[in-house]
Amino acid sequence: MSGSNVWSRTREKLRLFPELFAQCAEEGAVYGKCVTATTTGRQELKKDLCAKEFEALKSCFTNAPIRD
Amino acid sequence: MGSKVFHTLLSAAARCPQALFGCCYSGLRASSWSSGSRRLMSNGDSSMNVFDRRMKRRQRDWSAKQQDSHLYDYLRDEVGTRLADRVYDVARTFPLALDVGSGKSHIAPHLSKEVVERFYLADISEPVLRRKKEGEIPTHCVVADEEFLPFGENTFDLVVSSLSIHWINNLPEAFKQIHQVLKPDGVFIGAMLGGDTLYELRCSLQLAETEREGGFSPHVSPYTSVSDLGHLLRQAGFNMLTVDVDDVVVHYPGMFEVMTDLQGMAESNCLWNRRALLHRDTMLAAAAVYKDMYSNEDGSVPATFEILYMIGWKPHESQSQPAKRGTATASFGDLSKLNRPTTNQKDKS
Repeated sequence: MSGSNVWSRTREKLRLFPELFAQCAEEGAVYGKCVTATTTGRQELKKDLCAKEFEALKSCFTNAPIRD
Repeated sequence: MGSKVFHTLLSAAARCPQALFGCCYSGLRASSWSSGSRRLMSNGDSSMNVFDRRMKRRQRDWSAKQQDSHLYDYLRDEVGTRLADRVYDVARTFPLALDVGSGKSHIAPHLSKEVVERFYLADISEPVLRRKKEGEIPTHCVVADEEFLPFGENTFDLVVSSLSIHWINNLPEAFKQIHQVLKPDGVFIGAMLGGDTLYELRCSLQLAETEREGGFSPHVSPYTSVSDLGHLLRQAGFNMLTVDVDDVVVHYPGMFEVMTDLQGMAESNCLWNRRALLHRDTMLAAAAVYKDMYSNEDGSVPATFEILYMIGWKPHESQSQPAKRGTATASFGDLSKLNRPTTNQKDKS
């Protein structure tokens, strides 16, 4: 496959993943703690249990500036 | 076992994780493989088809053709040197040896001509064999599936295998074939990923997928445990077994780099029941969970590779046999009399 196609464009976007993720360390930690709390506590992990924390993480991630 | 720790901070190469998760859509369901243990099936069970071997070959072809494929060889090189050490420990010269699932040949370059005179390298992927590393020993390449070795019986003095038999579907059958191609008093020295390999990745993905999507599917292969491995080798007819475990922990900047490196090593998922996609949300969530659960003080995350080393011999009359019943010359009851000085004991003074 040569030229610009959906795979190369997706790959380019995903290449930035670690950089953007590093900028949202706090939100990531909050979400991570919410999920891992279920492994020790009595509450079972269900869908969207930590939806609020994830929305915060996702909005930080999508709005993070691309420094290059 | 002491664990050797690498500090490898690789920059994130541009790889699309979507390629990690193949093309068979299987739907969301909690899979029985998530426990991470591989069931030991009975002999001749032909329904043992866990891995998509064609996909594995395509993954190896792809990884071999990358410009920077040598960057991902660190794990295989390390296990290759440790396997070569074990070959040196056997004080023998092997005229003819076989490397099953050799990849770019990670064992032969570390051996000398006094130990092995000729080496055959077998792998399912041709591009990988074309990029093999040269060493002292003359090598011949054969494109062959590890489960269907095209060699005659009683051919090889030594068979080695490094980090490839954990992708074999019918492991009992593969061990039997290795047993067959060995000469009597030949030895099989192998290394495979087992047990708790990549448990951090498996757990993070499982938790994140459950929270984000309501269910999870297998992303990490089921691995053989140490006890099962001993049974399998014995069933195949090997003698004087030695199985030991070594943990290699590699530290990465984050989960994304772990997955990138696994893809570069051609160790991506190829289970038949894998999902086609990993949603970006789930990946983001899993990276956050991975970091929270397992990260080190400096922010890097570990990935555990549990390597099972095995040595098995093909039976031969010259090998030591268990002693016959009734040939004991001392009794366990004598043990208690060892420390007490008695007049019966010979006194060398």
